[in-house]
Amino acid sequence: MRIREHPILEFERGREVEFDFDGRRLCGHEGETIAAALHASGVRVLRKSIRHGRPRGFFCAIGRCSSCLMTVDGVPNVMTCVTPLRRGMKVETQTGKGTLAAEAKGAGSIAGDGSGSDLGTVPLAIVGAGPAGLSAAVYAGRLGVESVVVDENEVPGGQLIKQTHMFFGSLEHYARVRGVDIGTQLCRELEKCPSKLLTGTTVLGLYTDDPPWKTLSLMKNGVRGELRARTVVLATGASENMLAFENCDLPGVYGAGAVQTLMNVYGVAPGERVLMVGAGNIGLIVGYQLLQAAVDVAAVIDAMDEIGGYHVHAAKIRRMGVPILTSHTILSAGGTDRVERATISRVDSDWQPVEGTERTIDVDTICLAVGLTPNCELASMAGCDDEYVPELGGLVSAHDADLETSVPGVFIAGDASGIEEASTAMLEGRLAGLAAVERLEVEVDREKLLAMKEEAASGLSELRAGPFGDRPRLGKERMLALAASRGGDR
Amino acid sequence: MKEDVVICRCEDITYGEIVDAVRGGLTTTEEIKRILRCGMGPCQGRTCSRLIVRIISQETGVPVAEVRFPVVRPPSRPVEIGVMAAGGPPDGNPSGGEYDAD
Amino acid sequence: MTERRRDGVLREAEMGPVVPSAERLARGPVVIVECVENIPCNPCVAACPKGAIAIRGDINDTPVVDFETCDGCRVCISACPGLAIFAVDATGDPALVSIPYEFRPLPETGEIVTTLDREGAESGEGKVVRVLSAKALDRTPIVTIEVPKNLAMRVRHFRRKPDRGGTS
Repeated sequence: MRIREHPILEFERGREVEFDFDGRRLCGHEGETIAAALHASGVRVLRKSIRHGRPRGFFCAIGRCSSCLMTVDGVPNVMTCVTPLRRGMKVETQTGKGTLAAEAKGAGSIAGDGSGSDLGTVPLAIVGAGPAGLSAAVYAGRLGVESVVVDENEVPGGQLIKQTHMFFGSLEHYARVRGVDIGTQLCRELEKCPSKLLTGTTVLGLYTDDPPWKTLSLMKNGVRGELRARTVVLATGASENMLAFENCDLPGVYGAGAVQTLMNVYGVAPGERVLMVGAGNIGLIVGYQLLQAAVDVAAVIDAMDEIGGYHVHAAKIRRMGVPILTSHTILSAGGTDRVERATISRVDSDWQPVEGTERTIDVDTICLAVGLTPNCELASMAGCDDEYVPELGGLVSAHDADLETSVPGVFIAGDASGIEEASTAMLEGRLAGLAAVERLEVEVDREKLLAMKEEAASGLSELRAGPFGDRPRLGKERMLALAASRGGDR
Repeated sequence: MKEDVVICRCEDITYGEIVDAVRGGLTTTEEIKRILRCGMGPCQGRTCSRLIVRIISQETGVPVAEVRFPVVRPPSRPVEIGVMAAGGPPDGNPSGGEYDAD
Repeated sequence: MTERRRDGVLREAEMGPVVPSAERLARGPVVIVECVENIPCNPCVAACPKGAIAIRGDINDTPVVDFETCDGCRVCISACPGLAIFAVDATGDPALVSIPYEFRPLPETGEIVTTLDREGAESGEGKVVRVLSAKALDRTPIVTIEVPKNLAMRVRHFRRKPDRGGTS
């Protein structure tokens, strides 16, 4: 199940270590996640659900859902999809809510006196070290403004680190460079800036009750701290949408991001034969990446009557013999403890399954690429207004053309401000970082600042000018109108 | 959709249970959250909220855009009680200890 | 809506300006840029050493190849993020088709492969005559295969035989 040869990636695996899984001795690589190590050993069932005892594998692979909770070294409810494997770990399938052993210790120690949590102040705090967050830090940094970038992952780059394909867009904005390499380039840029990167650090809360300060409650290695910032850019990305169908919680039904994490970060094949649900760019691209990892793709299906993604992405998998079935939906997953098959059917113009068109295909993995939802939780906690804009992916924090939310000094950029491409996320991050600098009223070359902002804004209009930009462009226009009318109320 | 399809994975709540709740008068995500616990588990509704909003919309006829999502409160991730009780870095050094990124 | 939007297969009827004239094809190698949608992308323009590829309006316009200037040098093939550029040399029979190939292991020169069309249907056999995988191609190697001349505009991928590490 480990990918040994890959056309694009070279996997840097940690040293091989043994660990214990339900009394069995298994091998994995130090530093990879527990869930990835188990998957590489063929283990799909990580827990049994709390009421019905249904088998569960992982789903999101980024610590957002609860599918992968296991008991590790006696501690229940450990998110194994983000917890690194260490030698000698005792990993157990968790049944129900888990039991806290008397001798079990939490990750944190009650050593502090409660007063030692002050991490100081910073002009600009950025949440998320993906394309948008890194760009915000780099561009603010180019104007000499200090920032702290916080990301809950151990490796910065967000989703970029999983992208093996060359990016589209303009040559001036990283087109032709592979996503994984863009991540590396942005991190190198960041090193030249007065910016501090806190990886493996979760933002638990964002408080704005002491203007102009914004307080971020942080947690790393089970230790909490508070960081106060004058301005904040939220570049928190998006979460995978779930699709409800019979047995959709069966191990082997994975989000597209999870499949990418497994195969492109850890070099573990998600399965042998995959059904891809969703023919937008993500479904098509991940379908191609599966083929690159020598995994068979049985079909790509989509309930829409046309392919949502770029033709060139569709053409790449079609010429390798992968059928793309539009106007098709998934009815059920089958299998006892893991996916063994999927039943699909045609849908009519009202998206209702057409009777008699059902067919069952043998697959061991069902990959869901059915859209993303912006992560606006922190903005919501901070009291930012939100709007429901379907073109942007659902509920989004209201923001103006500078990406500033209804709370002055809190900006939102990238997928968190509306689902788009990584190329637009980088430009939005840039714009938000520069707008935050403007809001800070620090001494900077104002003309230069405005010219840089204008460049980012016109780059965004250019990328959204084509037919595939219609949806986000309309969404952004609606958002601006809604935000403006709200602003009038205040 | 079949009644036994699991919608909320954390609390193991099925489609049928949610539909019954909505038909029984629980027509907001907040009510469903309090009675059925959808959104109270470790994922805090990240996996199921969208699905529940759709079910409410489909059962009540209220457009999806008008069904409110549940309120978000800190902490954004499950945190052990010990971590909460412990406060911050023991030495109180803003740039020191575990937070030193250099 | 075109069939292509439904199933992902580009048909000849929709190819129009993508395809050079029969006379031009017979005259020398040339690139076929199968990029027919308005997407924001432009690396091919800068990649061409002869300046033969143009995007006339904004970045969302489709690239247009000046077939008189293009000499089929293949430099643009690995520059296309959509892997939508192929080169065809139909001056003789068999013809040569150059294809971007991001899979491992790479085929060997002289190897016989199964050729595939835009739908992934098998169209016959071809012989690998050249495999370019220089560092400058940034992990998008170019494989040139010999195919019967009448298939030069149909063959767009290939599969290695099962005994050569391919999947059946």
